[in-house]
Amino acid sequence: MASKAASPVVEQYNYDIVKKFALMSLFWGLAGMSAGTYIASELAWPFLNFDIAQITFGRLRPLHTSGVIFGFGGNALFATSYYIVQRTCQTRLWGTGFANFTFWGWNAAITIAGIGYLMGITAGREYAEPEWYVDLIILVVWVVYFLVYTMTLLKRNQPHIYVANWFFISFILAVALLHIFNNLAVPVSFFGTKSYSLFSGAQDAMTQWWYGHNAVGFFLTAAFLGMMYYFVPKQAGRPVYSYRLSIIHFWALSFMYMWVGTHHLHWTAIPDWTSSLAAAFSIMLLMPSWGGMINGIMTLSGAWDKLRSDPIMMFLITSLSFYGMSTFEGPMMALKSVNALSHYTDWTVGHVHSGALGWVAMVTFGSMYHMIPRLWNTTLYSLKMVYIHFFLTTIGILLYITALWVSGIGQGLMLRAFDEYGNLAYSFIETVAFMHGPLVARAIAGMFIVTGLLFMLVNIYLTITRRDTVENTVAATAKA
Amino acid sequence: MADTKSTKPTENTSNNKIKHEVIKDPLTGVETTGHVWDDTLMEFNNPLPTWWLWAFYGTIIFSIVYFIIYPSWPTGLAEKGYIAGTSEITYKSDAGEEITTHWNTRALLAHEMQNDPNELKRQTMVKKVAATPLASVVKDPQQSQFVLAYGKGIFGDYCAGCHQTGGQGVIGDYPNLIDDAWLWGSDSVDIETTIRKGRTGNMPAHKASMSDAEITQTANYVLSLSGESVDSAAAEHGKKLFNTKGCSGCHMPTGVGMKALGAANLTDKIWTQANVPAAADITAKVAAVKTIIANGFKREMPAWESRLSNDEIKVLVAYIKLLSAE
Repeated sequence: MASKAASPVVEQYNYDIVKKFALMSLFWGLAGMSAGTYIASELAWPFLNFDIAQITFGRLRPLHTSGVIFGFGGNALFATSYYIVQRTCQTRLWGTGFANFTFWGWNAAITIAGIGYLMGITAGREYAEPEWYVDLIILVVWVVYFLVYTMTLLKRNQPHIYVANWFFISFILAVALLHIFNNLAVPVSFFGTKSYSLFSGAQDAMTQWWYGHNAVGFFLTAAFLGMMYYFVPKQAGRPVYSYRLSIIHFWALSFMYMWVGTHHLHWTAIPDWTSSLAAAFSIMLLMPSWGGMINGIMTLSGAWDKLRSDPIMMFLITSLSFYGMSTFEGPMMALKSVNALSHYTDWTVGHVHSGALGWVAMVTFGSMYHMIPRLWNTTLYSLKMVYIHFFLTTIGILLYITALWVSGIGQGLMLRAFDEYGNLAYSFIETVAFMHGPLVARAIAGMFIVTGLLFMLVNIYLTITRRDTVENTVAATAKA
Repeated sequence: MADTKSTKPTENTSNNKIKHEVIKDPLTGVETTGHVWDDTLMEFNNPLPTWWLWAFYGTIIFSIVYFIIYPSWPTGLAEKGYIAGTSEITYKSDAGEEITTHWNTRALLAHEMQNDPNELKRQTMVKKVAATPLASVVKDPQQSQFVLAYGKGIFGDYCAGCHQTGGQGVIGDYPNLIDDAWLWGSDSVDIETTIRKGRTGNMPAHKASMSDAEITQTANYVLSLSGESVDSAAAEHGKKLFNTKGCSGCHMPTGVGMKALGAANLTDKIWTQANVPAAADITAKVAAVKTIIANGFKREMPAWESRLSNDEIKVLVAYIKLLSAE
């Protein structure tokens, strides 16, 4: 703040921090999705492991998940939440230095963790693979994030707090809670990388999946709903469909999500009641999840023609459709009887990606296409390229999900097929051989998505570099 | 709410004292809440969609039923669930006592293992095979069909990782089970011992005790045993070395091998370590055999006694006999 005081004009909003996070999000998106496509190819064509430990599936997989969830998704959430909180509070972001710290801290944490994965350093907890020292960096960054966000809300020039901000606050609070308790661990030594979880056995598994599912619930759902609640009405130029629905589904979602994590552990060595309870709450979560979809899609009532003419709107509304589809599929898969078939198969992986690609990535792409030209005070270089990106992504996701339905449901059915004598009809290895075709299709689907992303990166690059700014104009005039 | 006058929100909203007015949307006729953010962001005051609300109530009712059928709260569990008759599983304990309890996975597993029609069919066949001498099992069409089907699963899960799904093995690593050569014996008693106890094979390295020329000569001799056209002078020297450098101790003076040590028969055309079949010419064949003589090798078949039941082992032996006979 002190250095900024020297500058004669303090801009109304801190766009600098939003720009940094937005560009970093796109970088991690390319890195994470490329890694994902590569490991998908390794599953289809195992020779791609090349017997090099650092690029085997086991080490690249956490790089892919951390890269897309925390790198691409996390940076996108920082960018959009900082953008939205400033604009809906009509005030500049509190603590410029603190905000910059969250940028450098967050990205340093992902980089250190990612290099560690390749070297085989991992805590072995899904979506929480970073070891204890990275967990500490994340913790400090997160507390500062909470501080910046809350202080900005407190100094708002608006009587009401907009709904997007409710979701962002619940996301920040819940992730803090999840991160701290899931990563309680004892380092083996002060200068060593290895640590052991404070919990053991079934308790450890339940803590892990309480974290794992709520990472989906609060990181990948609540926070991205916050993004949706700003960019959908803005892009549509229409008011949000229902204020009352937003209140009810916000509180129902926040309350119900916390109970359902154990549905990841059906039919394992946990107390039966915990698994039944998680299944029951998963079913009750369906309608609260759909509340966000209804509020987003119905916001378009009166402006449906934009679905034909506006590719950004197509991204946003398609993302809500995938959100509705995967939040229906999720509770179904959480039922014990369905889970008996689906668990440990590719159906789960397909389900995650219909949420992560269909919902999270698509709503992010749409939001970025809306936000980035406004940050640089210009217009998009090419709407045609947005169309191409949209169709490549949509085809890729549909192919991806369909391939893994075939692979997962097919394997599930094979594993429970009996012959005329009551024997299991297939050995495990035969089910693996069956999966080859769908896994090839899935790898090709990944290539579609990465290609689409390349169109976006070129489009964004040209949007930023070819913009007609005041400085450019001044420079051009001076030259002449 | 009575105010139907359409008012545009004021442009400058930087004062939180400003009261926004409710406006009525000309397209849908719905009123907004009167809040405005970021110049244009507003909310309609639509009620909760009726179908959504009823569907939400529906999922809550479904969940309550689920709560009762699969008891979802650990306290106050009655012997038969919250409401008698809603959540029951009956099974027989090991002592033969009939037990009825509330739904739980252990009881469910016991119940299914005792009642599932597929499982009962399988158990009947397993009992039949267990009670029949192995030689008769292999001859009986129904039992051998069962063994081929059941054994395929056991073999696929425990054996195929090394010996491959068809049992053909991998030259240099894992023995072929469907040819006529058996390192550790081919009768069912030998095969059963191999599975139960495992086997450890050890061919010592000879590069310290033999010169390269000597190893070449011995390799020529070893190849001549199975009828390869080799350098006969070298093979003549090799024969002496075969008998003096320790080869004949395990492979026997005639080269037919020794079952007790798992020493391979060198007189047949079957190779388990040196990849002679893949060698293009005699030079490559000699080179392949030389590598084995010079470096030796160790290999191990793990013991399965503690992981497979007696019935499973019996079926597996019968399966392998059937597989190698086909």
